[in-house]
Amino acid sequence: MSDPTAPLLILIGAGTGLVGALLGIGGGVFLVPLLTLAMGVPIRTAIAASLIAVIATASASATVNINRGLVNLRLGLTLEVATSIGGLAGGVAASLLTQRQLFVVFAATLAAMGLVMAVRAGRRNVIRDPDADPGMLGGRLQEGGLVYVYRVRRLGLGLVASLAAGAISGLLGLGGGIVKVPVLNAFCGIPFRVAAGTSTFVIGVTAAASAFVYYGRGDIVFPLTAAIAVGALPASLLGAHLSDRVRARSLKLMMSGVLIVVGALMALEGS
Amino acid sequence: MTGPSPLERAIETALTAGLAVSSGLLVGGLLLARPELLRWGTLLLMMTPVARVAVMSVGLVHKRDWLFALISLWILAVLGSSLFVALRMGLRI
Repeated sequence: MSDPTAPLLILIGAGTGLVGALLGIGGGVFLVPLLTLAMGVPIRTAIAASLIAVIATASASATVNINRGLVNLRLGLTLEVATSIGGLAGGVAASLLTQRQLFVVFAATLAAMGLVMAVRAGRRNVIRDPDADPGMLGGRLQEGGLVYVYRVRRLGLGLVASLAAGAISGLLGLGGGIVKVPVLNAFCGIPFRVAAGTSTFVIGVTAAASAFVYYGRGDIVFPLTAAIAVGALPASLLGAHLSDRVRARSLKLMMSGVLIVVGALMALEGS
Repeated sequence: MTGPSPLERAIETALTAGLAVSSGLLVGGLLLARPELLRWGTLLLMMTPVARVAVMSVGLVHKRDWLFALISLWILAVLGSSLFVALRMGLRI
C-alpha cells in the first residue's frame, strides 16, 4: 500500500461506518470532524470523502435493513424528493460559504438535534394492535416476535426536515440522517429503527446528488476517499446486523450524546 | 410479517452488485497503487444509489404503482441533473 496513512483511514472509515449504520445516519457526522480536526484535512476534501463514505455506509446497511422490513419504501421515496432537491442545492451553495460559516452551521445543527433526541429518548411510536390500519405511508414492524403498527403523522414537517437535510448534506458532507432520524422519530410517529433504516436507504441518494458536484469540482482525493470507503463498507454491514441487539432507547441516547459532543467540538473549531 | 417483496429483492441485488464491484476496484487500487482503479471504484460507488433508484423506478412502473413510480422517476431526474452539473464543471468519465 503506497499511502502510509491508509491503515488509519481504513480504521476511521470502519468506525464511522459501524456507528453510522447503527444510528441510521451514514457516519459523515463523525467523519468530517475527525478528518478536519484530527488529521488536518481541508474541509472540502473531508466533505467529499465523507459523501462517498455515506454512500458506502447507506448502500451496505440498506442491503441488510431491506430484508428486515426496516425500510419503508413509500415513505423513503416521498422524503427522497425533498432531500434530493436540497442535496443538489446544497452542493452548489457550498462554494458560496466560507469555511467558518460551514463549521458554525454544522455545530448548531448537531447541538439542536442532540437535545431533541435526549428529550424524546423514552417515548415509543408504535400501536400494539397488529391489525390497525397503517395508512398510505405507515407500516408494520416486527420486534421480539410481536408485530407493531406505526402511522406517519405531520408529513409536512418530515418533508421540510428532508429538504433541510438535503441542503445540509451537500454543504457539510453528511447524509442528512442527523436531521431526518430525530425529526421522523420525534415528530412524525416513526419508530427509531424504521426511521434509521429508511434514513440510511434515502441518504445514499442524497449523498450521491451532492457527491457528483464535489467530484466535478475536483474535491475528491482518491487514495484518502478510497481507504475510508474500504473501511466503511464491511463495518456498516456489521453495524446494520448489530442494530437489532441494541435497545432503541440506548440507540437514541447514544446518538444524542455524540451529536452534542461533536457539535461542541466543531463550534470550537469554527470560532 | 411477510418476507421482502420482489421489488425489495431487486433493489438489494442492485446495491449488492454495485458494492461488490466498486469495493473490489477500490481494494485493488489501494493495494496496487493504481489511481485509475480508485477513480473507477469511486465513480461506480457513486453510481450505485443511481442504479438503485433506476431499478426501483422500473419495478414501480411494472407494478403500475403510478404515483410512486412518478416520484421515483423524478428522483432519477434530479440525480441526472446533478451528474449534468458535474459534467459541466469538468467531470471526466
